[in-house]
Amino acid sequence: MHSITHAEAIVEAIAECMTEDDNVALVWGSLMGLGSGNKYAKRIQKEFSDRIFHPPISEAAICAIVAGAAMDGVRTLFPMGTASFMFRAWDQIIHEAGAAHYMSNGKVKVPAVFHVVHGLRGGGSVQHSQSPQAMLWNSPGIEIALPSSPADAKGLMRTAIKSDNPTIFIDHQKLNRVRGDVPDEPYDIPFGKADVKREGTDVTIVAASLQVIHSLEAAEILAAEGLEVEIVDLRSLVPLDENTILNSVRKTQRLLVVDECPPRCSLASEVICVVVEKAMDVLKAPPRRVNRLPVHVPANTEMEAFLGPNTNRIVEAIKEICN
Amino acid sequence: MDNETRFSHIFQNMIAIRRFEEEVIGLHDAEEFSGHYHLYIGQEATGSTVMESLGLEDRIFSTHRNHGHLIARGADPSSAMAEILGRSTGLNGGRGGTFHLANPELGMPHTSALVGGAVPLAAGGALAAKIKKTGGIGVSMFGDGCFEEGLVFETLNLARLWHLPVIFICENNTPGAVLKSAGGTNSSNMPSGRVLDTPAALGMEAYEVDGGDAEAVNLLFQDCINRVRANGEPIFIEALTERWPGNYYSFPSLVTGATELTMIWDDSLIDGEHEDWFRTHDPIFRLGRALLANEILTQEEILKIDREATDTMQKAREFALASPLPSTEKIYEYVLAGGEANA
Repeated sequence: MHSITHAEAIVEAIAECMTEDDNVALVWGSLMGLGSGNKYAKRIQKEFSDRIFHPPISEAAICAIVAGAAMDGVRTLFPMGTASFMFRAWDQIIHEAGAAHYMSNGKVKVPAVFHVVHGLRGGGSVQHSQSPQAMLWNSPGIEIALPSSPADAKGLMRTAIKSDNPTIFIDHQKLNRVRGDVPDEPYDIPFGKADVKREGTDVTIVAASLQVIHSLEAAEILAAEGLEVEIVDLRSLVPLDENTILNSVRKTQRLLVVDECPPRCSLASEVICVVVEKAMDVLKAPPRRVNRLPVHVPANTEMEAFLGPNTNRIVEAIKEICN
Repeated sequence: MDNETRFSHIFQNMIAIRRFEEEVIGLHDAEEFSGHYHLYIGQEATGSTVMESLGLEDRIFSTHRNHGHLIARGADPSSAMAEILGRSTGLNGGRGGTFHLANPELGMPHTSALVGGAVPLAAGGALAAKIKKTGGIGVSMFGDGCFEEGLVFETLNLARLWHLPVIFICENNTPGAVLKSAGGTNSSNMPSGRVLDTPAALGMEAYEVDGGDAEAVNLLFQDCINRVRANGEPIFIEALTERWPGNYYSFPSLVTGATELTMIWDDSLIDGEHEDWFRTHDPIFRLGRALLANEILTQEEILKIDREATDTMQKAREFALASPLPSTEKIYEYVLAGGEANA
C-alpha cells in the first residue's frame, strides 16, 4: 500500500495504462489539477509525449475527435475539467460516441473516456457546480463511473480505459485532494460492482461519489445513538449493481438515497424506483431521499452549503425513517 | 485527360449513384420508408473522384447526404438500399437508415446526421492514423451549412494545432439554390455565401474547385492527398456544386426526370424549364461529354455502363424490398459492447 491523493490515484492509473498499451492516448488539460510541477504529471509528460495532445478550449470538437480516434481503436482519455463544460459536447458524447456501437449493429466500438469533475465546490456558482450524472444516465450507450476513494478511483479508471465503451468518469471536486491507501500492484475494479462501505443492520444508505463520505460521517453520529447504518457505494451507474442494493435493503428493510443531483429524475429517484419495483414488500417505511435542492447554485458559500446534501440532513432523514 | 481507366471508373460510379438515388426517390414516393431524406444528385463528380483516390487505410466521415459517398467508396448497393428501408440486411442492420449509412470495413465507421458532426470525427480518424502511424488520413465530406456551427471552427483550429493529416471537403451546394432570404430552403446563411475565408484565417491551406468538374476535382485532390500524406498537415477544399433543381424544396423531387444519358450527345433532347441544368450543370453530362470528346468512351459504352448500373440498382431495390425487418427481440443488442446493458 501507498498513500496518495484521489487525483494522484487517477493519474497513476493513466500512467499504468499508457505503459501497458501503446494505443492509449491522452488529451491533456490540467490533468486533474495537479499542475505540471507534480511528479506524476511530469512522468506522464516525459514518457508519453507523442501520445499527449494539449487542448484548446473546444470541448465539443475534442469530444468528437476523441470519439473518432476511438472508433479506430485508439483508447483516448479526455479530462475536460469541470463537469459543466461537457454540456458543450453533449451531442458528441451522446449522439456520436454513445450511439456508434448501436447504430453500426455492433461493428464499431468507441473506447473513449471523458473525465469530468462534478459537484458543489465552494464558490463554483451556477455554471461550475453541475452534477450531470443523472442527465447522462438517461442516455443509452455510455458507461458511468463515480468513485468515492483513491483506491476505487484508480481501479475504476483502469477499467474505464480498458472498456470498449465510451465511459464518463465523474470525480468530485472535493475528493481530488483526499488521501487514501492504494495497493502497490496494478488492479482493476470492474463496473457494476457496488461496494458496501460500511455494514449495518438498521437502514441502508445508497450513495455515490462525495455523498458516500457524507454518509459515512452521518453513520458515525448515528452509531453513537444506537442506529447501525449500512452504506452501499454504487461506484458505477452503468452498469448498475441492483443486486447489492436489493440485498442490503432486504436485510435492513429501510432505504435512504443521498444524491447531489436535484431530486427530479435523479440517482435517488431511480434507485428508489428499482427498490420499489423489486423489493417493496420488505420495506418497513417509505424510502427517502436527500438531494441537492432543485435550485441553481448560488455563489455565496452559506447558501451553497444549505443547498447540498450534508451530514446533518442525512442524520435527520435516517432518524425519521427509523422512527 | 491522362488517366482513361480512372475517369471511366469515376464515371461508372457517378452513374451508379444517380441510378441508386432515382430508385430511392421511387421507394420514398411509394412509402416504402418514412421520414426525411437527402440526395446527392448533382454532386456525384466530387464524391466519386475523391473516393477514387482514397485507400482502405483512410477514414471517411460523411453526413445525412451520404448515399453517394458510400456507393462511390464501394459499398454494396443492395445492403445500402436495404439500410434505407430499415431492413435487417442493411449496412447497419436497419438501425441507421438513410441518415447514417456506414461501412466500417471500408473505413467509413460512423455517419453523423448532425450538422457539422462529421467534421471533428474525421479529425479523430486522422488523430488515430497519426498515433498508430498507419499512413492513412482522415477525410470529412460535409455541406456549407456546417459553417453555421461553431463545432466546425473548433475542429479546423484543432487540426492546425495538432497537425492532423485530414482533408476537409466542403461540398458547397448553395450555388443555384433559392436563398432562405428569398423564401428557399436548405441553403446556408452566411454574409458572403462562401466558406473559404475561415480556414484561410487559421492559416490552413485552402482551395476552391468546381465540384461539378471531375477532372478539376481530380487534379486538385491528387495534389492535396499527396501533400497531406507527406507532411501531415490539414488541407481544406471548397467544392462548389450547383444545386440540383430537385433539391430546391424541403423534400427531394425528381423534377428533372429519370436521367436520360443520350442527352450527353443529342442536344435536340434538351429543352424546357431545366435546360440550363442539363446543358451546363449535370456533372454526369459534363464528364460524359469530356469522355466522348477525348475518345475514352463511345456512346455505346456509355449506354452499356448505364444499363448495368440500372440493372444493379433495380436488383438492389428488389433485394431490399424482399429483406425482412430486424426482429424487435434484438432491440437490446449492442447498446454497450461486451454484453447487454443493465441500463
